[in-house]
Formats: sequence, C-alpha cells, structure tokens
Amino acid sequence: MRGARLREAGWGYGFALVPIAVFGLFFIYPLVYAAYISFFHWGILGKTSSGAGTFNYAKVLHDPVFRTALKNIAEYTVVVVPLEMALGLLLALAINQKIRGRNFFRSAFYFPSIASSVAIVTIILYIFNQNGLFNHIFGLSTDWFGQASTVGWGIVGMNAWTTSGTVMIFYLAALQAISEDLYEAAAVDNTGAWRTFWKITFPLLRPAHFFCLVVFGIGALKLFDQAFLIAGGASGAPNYATMYPIIYIYNAAFTAFDFGLAAAAGVVYFVLIFGLTIIERLTVGRPEPV
Amino acid sequence: MTLQTTVASAEPYVPGRARSDVRRKILLYSLYLVIAAIFFVPFLWTLTTSFKTIPDSVNVTFFAHPWTTSAWRTLWNDYDFPTYIKNSVFLAVVIVTCNLFLSALGGYAFARLRFPGRELLFLLVLGTLMVPDQLRLLPIFLMMVHWGLYGSFWSYILINLVSAVNLFFMRQYFLTIPRDFEEAAKLDGAGYFKTFWRVMLPLALPAMAALAILQFQGVWNDFFWPLILFGQGNPSHYTLQLGLANLHFNYGTLWPEISAGAVIAILPILVIFLAFQRFFVSGVVSAGVKG
Repeated sequence: MRGARLREAGWGYGFALVPIAVFGLFFIYPLVYAAYISFFHWGILGKTSSGAGTFNYAKVLHDPVFRTALKNIAEYTVVVVPLEMALGLLLALAINQKIRGRNFFRSAFYFPSIASSVAIVTIILYIFNQNGLFNHIFGLSTDWFGQASTVGWGIVGMNAWTTSGTVMIFYLAALQAISEDLYEAAAVDNTGAWRTFWKITFPLLRPAHFFCLVVFGIGALKLFDQAFLIAGGASGAPNYATMYPIIYIYNAAFTAFDFGLAAAAGVVYFVLIFGLTIIERLTVGRPEPV
Repeated sequence: MTLQTTVASAEPYVPGRARSDVRRKILLYSLYLVIAAIFFVPFLWTLTTSFKTIPDSVNVTFFAHPWTTSAWRTLWNDYDFPTYIKNSVFLAVVIVTCNLFLSALGGYAFARLRFPGRELLFLLVLGTLMVPDQLRLLPIFLMMVHWGLYGSFWSYILINLVSAVNLFFMRQYFLTIPRDFEEAAKLDGAGYFKTFWRVMLPLALPAMAALAILQFQGVWNDFFWPLILFGQGNPSHYTLQLGLANLHFNYGTLWPEISAGAVIAILPILVIFLAFQRFFVSGVVSAGVKG
C-alpha cells in the first residue's frame, strides 16, 4: 500500500515537473529578480558593485514623466472600462433577443476582439488619418492620432470597439443564466421593457458586473501595444500623450538602458495595481466567475 | 416560484400585438445591421484597399480602381513577409503543441494524482496569474541575454512552454470526468502514464481543442514578447505582427501594402474563428482571465 502511494506521488511530481519548473523560472524568480535589480545602478554593462539603496525608487516617484504616465493610465481606465462594459452589455442584450441570424451578429460583434493589436492599429490609423474615411464622412480634418489633445481619446475609442465584443461574451453567458420565469412574471405584471431591464436584468447581472470590472480593469491598466504602435515607439509622442506606465518601463529599459529605474518603476506599478485590487475586493466584493 | 410559473405559462392576450411585433423586428434588424457594419466595414475596407494602387489608396472609395495585386506582390517579394509568416506559424505550432501536452499532463496531476505539497504547488500555479508582464519583462530579457538565448526562437518558446491559464483549464476539465474510466484502466493493469495517455487524454479532446485554438490565437497575435525578445535583433526572426509593425513604422503611408499585411495578420484567425466558433466562445468564458 505504501509502495503504491509512493509510486503515485512519484508520477504526480513527474507529471507536474516541467510546468512547475517553467512557472518557477519565468514567473516567480523574475518577481524576486526584478525587486533585486531595482536596488542597483544597473545599465547595459551590468550592475555596479555597491547597491543604489532606494535611489531608483526616489527617482521614479519624483519623475514628472512617470506621474504623467500614471495620470494618463488613470484617465484612460476610468473612461474605457465603463464604456467597454456598457457597449458589451448592449451588444449582449441585442444578441440575447430571439431573432434569426443571432449567430451571425454575435460573430460580427465579437470579430474585432480576435484580431491582433497591430492589425487593428494599422486599420484604425488608415480610417482615421487626416484624409481618411472617417474625416471624409463627417467633413472633418482632425489628425486624430497625431495630436496630443485627441490621441488618448482615439485609443479609448479603438479599444472600446475591440474589447466590447469580449465583454459581450461574458454578459451573454450571464444573461442566459437568468431564469425565464422572472421575465414571464414581469410580462404578466405588464412591466415595460425598460423597467424590466433596470429592476430585474441589471441587478441580477451583479456578479458579471464585478467580474468584468476586475478583469477588464486590470486589462486596461496593462495598455501597451496600441500606444507603442501609434507613437512609433516608447517616446510617448506626441508630447507624452501616449506615455503610459508600461511604455515608461519599456522606455527606461530599452531606450535609456536604465534597468534599475525600469525595475523600480515595474515594482511601484505592480504594488499600485495590487493595492487597487485589494481595495476593490474589500469595497465591491469578490469577483465570481460568470 | 411554482405559482409564478403556472400563471405565466398562460399567454396573456395583448391586442395589436402582431403589428407592433413586426415593427419592433424591423427596427431591431436595422439596428443590428448598423452595428454589424460598424464592426465589419473597417475590415472590408482594408481588404479592398489592399488591391488598390498607392495613389488610389487616398481616395475615399470602397472599390479599388484600378484593381491590382501589386501590394501583395511587394509584400511577398520585397518585404520578407513569407519569412514572417513562416516564423509565426512555426512558433504557434511549437507552442500550441507544448502547451497541449504539458498543461494536460500537469492538469491531470493536479486533478487526480495525490502527492505531498500538491495544494501548495497549485497555489504557486495560480499565483503566476498575478505576476504581470511589466515586472517580468526586464528579468526575462536579462536572463535570455545571460543564457545567450536573446534574439533566438528558443527564448520565446521557453517562456511560453506552458501557461497557468491552460493548466488550470485542463485541471478543471479533468475534474469533471468520472473516476470510473481510470479505475477500469487500472484494473486492466495500465500504468499512470498509459492511463493518462490512452484513457484521459482522448476524453479531454474538446477541452484541448478549445485550448489549442485560444493558444494559437495568443501566439499569432502576440506583439509584446516578440518585440522584447527579437524586436531589436535581425529581421529574419520577425513574427508576422513584428513585420507588420515594422512596415507601419517605416512606410506609414504605403496603405495598400499595410492593408495587405493586416489582412494576412487577421485571416488565419478569422478562418479558425469561423470554423470553430463554439470552442472560441466556450474557451473564452471558461478561461475567463484570457479575455
């Protein structure tokens, strides 16, 4: 009996060995390593022998560019997440009707979510360039993605467009879990569609709201690809309007080759997001999968 | 609850219902078509632009005039797109295969085999979901430089051998399979690996299909890690997304070429999506975090 147990444990370790090694080496160890780097003056030629103390942290926290990055990402997230959720919920409600061709419409709405960020950015830049389709239709001549005053909104619009399809999928799953009986009861009471939505559907979607808020909130805080592609690099052009925290980290690491600073910024941003997640859990509750 | 159902099952009679229903339907359909157009037109526009000439690409017309495949030929002959496509396909196939095997193996171990420290190790697996890429990017870059793997395909394959999301997904699926199958295999004298390979793996095929599709999409669309690991190196290692980004950075107004590149970047995912929609949707919902 003992031998059989040992054998089972041996196979268990054997089966899990490679995944555990990968996770340890490429997830857990980098966490420690990043913290270590952040306490050194560390450049392209390696680290200095003596530590830098909290030098890198002081530098990040006093850097106006880092503050701009935090301000930009806060504005972006606060606008884009409710927008994605509202659009996603509207799409889900539309698809949840008993209509012919549901599957076609669901695919059409979901499609931008599966296209790559690079393809999406190039397509959007083509349509929104100064002489592009959008300006032509509305008789405008705005350089949407070329000027500091509009580029942030452009990224908000673009990502709301692509992400709302994914949000829709989650809301759709949640909507389909709501019992038909409730709607039938509302119909008997002659409750209007608007009232039915706000009194029955919306409150019952609470778990889905929390889930989307957390998942897409964290997703929004990781903004990188679109900003990098639009600015043509990690410079934050034009005028730091596309400077977001991960762009800042990339820039510190691969343009300035100040690895210590990049690591410190990574740690600071990680702690900020982690803190936000904790606060969110304490105030609005634990997200449940839909 | 029972009272409500019995009452509700009797259809209430509403006068004039049929006509308002038709009007409602027409309104709904037109609304859907408008939204679908907003979601689809940019892609169609891109497709037709890829067949335009460069001067024609600044005209705001839907159809190309004249119609030419010059942009496609340029991508093929002058911009190394065949290499980029080959690189992307290679990486996607290798990484999907590794993930299928390793996450099934690991998922099975965590679902069914008892070994000391299992719960603790599983917490470690879930914990990796909390480690964000912005923290990993620098250590992984330095590790790869140190190991002499920076700029090689190995670096990208290694960090993507298996993901916690996939392992978790497979574990959850194995937990839903009744134990009877394994016990029958055990009575037949099958060992642990044989039971896994011959009995459990075939039963988990639907989950593996969903995993393969989502992982393929993840690798095919990935921009961040290829940029870190071979974005500054030689273009012979560029993936399709890097190649397209590079084209966009250097020749930002070659719209027909860029459009053709975007079509290539999207097309395989579109085909897979249309063929396996069911897996896509169920996979996204159950994997959750992948969104």
